[in-house]
Amino acid sequence: MTAALGVPRTVEGFLRAGPQDFHEWVTRHQLRLMAFCVVSIVMGAGSYGLVIGSWRDSWQACYTGIKLPLAILLTTAGNGLLNGMLAPLLGLNVSFRQSLSAVLVSFGIASIVLGALSPVAWFIIWNTPPLTLRTSWVSPEYGFLQLMLTVFVALAGTIGNVRLLPLLRQWAGNRAVARNVLLAWLAGNLFLGSQICWVLRPFIWDARRPVEFIGPDGWHGSFFETLFQAAWRLMT
Amino acid sequence: MTDASRPLGEDPSDRVEIPHIFAAIDAILRHPRRIMYQLNQSTGSRLILSMTMAAVVCSLIYGVVAGTFSGGSQLWIAPVKIALGLMISALICLPSLYIFTCLSGSKARLTEICGLLAGLLLLMTILLIGFAPVAWIFSQSTSSLAWMGTLHLGFWFIATIFGLRFLEAGFSYSQARSHAGFYTWVIIFLLVAVQMTTALRPILGKSDTFLPKDKKFFAVYWGDCLSKSIDGPPAREHD
Repeated sequence: MTAALGVPRTVEGFLRAGPQDFHEWVTRHQLRLMAFCVVSIVMGAGSYGLVIGSWRDSWQACYTGIKLPLAILLTTAGNGLLNGMLAPLLGLNVSFRQSLSAVLVSFGIASIVLGALSPVAWFIIWNTPPLTLRTSWVSPEYGFLQLMLTVFVALAGTIGNVRLLPLLRQWAGNRAVARNVLLAWLAGNLFLGSQICWVLRPFIWDARRPVEFIGPDGWHGSFFETLFQAAWRLMT
Repeated sequence: MTDASRPLGEDPSDRVEIPHIFAAIDAILRHPRRIMYQLNQSTGSRLILSMTMAAVVCSLIYGVVAGTFSGGSQLWIAPVKIALGLMISALICLPSLYIFTCLSGSKARLTEICGLLAGLLLLMTILLIGFAPVAWIFSQSTSSLAWMGTLHLGFWFIATIFGLRFLEAGFSYSQARSHAGFYTWVIIFLLVAVQMTTALRPILGKSDTFLPKDKKFFAVYWGDCLSKSIDGPPAREHD
């Protein structure tokens, strides 16, 4: 797809776009680009969430299908202001809307990858022993699903960020600045995203509770606190 | 952050006026040389005043977010303490910054030093506003005072690093022979600011009195908070 086409019209064109196309879209067609990315996130991450939740039942599938894109969009919105401030401070002179568009592009690509991996995830779930009364936190099938969710999301996220780097390099005209901005955005999004996912849990299953959109423990504790406590228990 | 090899005002974009505070916020993020140049002009005092006022407003907003951890009276106590602490720290450290600047051979006047310090405060506090949504999410999720304290300190530290980068960039235009005095002042400023969090405690937790009854060094206070958190169940109600 060339920049002359103006805006991304198809997923194919969006994925094949080069830094020049993204630059054109981000500077001249921000709103349409943002709309395209939001739709990609809702469809891509939503379909992956549907598949992941379907291991438990259809309601969990619906909830996870809503929660996964919601987590991505809330992370983008929550860090929008911070990302927009960090970019110029690290040497990349872009506007808030441009930085928001760039982050959305990265999440949009990651979500499309997740959507494309949904059939694979569905096949894995179809081959996984179903949830029974005997399934527990330590059951291998549950651990396997958790691992799969993490690996696929990590893979999609990596691809999204790798595609963003050339755009940042072109904007900055400097590899070090582009790398620093990407790392700062990544760190911020990972930090807030982890906590938003923690609040919106469960994504797969909660043995103690019926199917709910957000569990009663949603606002109790934090992801990093739990991680720290687990590490502390291991050490002492 | 800035190109110190070119004198201020050489680039035409440096000379663009800063008509209001929103322009100052934009300039400090994207074109800090504009702020540094304007501090040398006749409108410098007005710019300093507006940057200081904006820093107060931003710190009050961040304080409200910090206060949501405990809620109730902390919703006004936390913003007042954060804004007050920041301004008092700056005021306490201003004379030493001026003296160290002079000792370094810098030609900067007191007004310019005040302006650079106001710029540091503004940049710090607008970055804290950027962190506010993240801080809010965590303050609603956790009840651990130690964790929230660490998180806010982390945000403050990152914001301060960027603020100090602005100050150093401004310092580099003042024909200083050495940066040793500046780095000494940075240590003093950091120590004063972290001690201020202990002098004005509790900022996050609740207390019967506005100010603490006993005096403590910040390292001792942090150690107490951490051991409380590890030994017993953390609670918002505790100091």
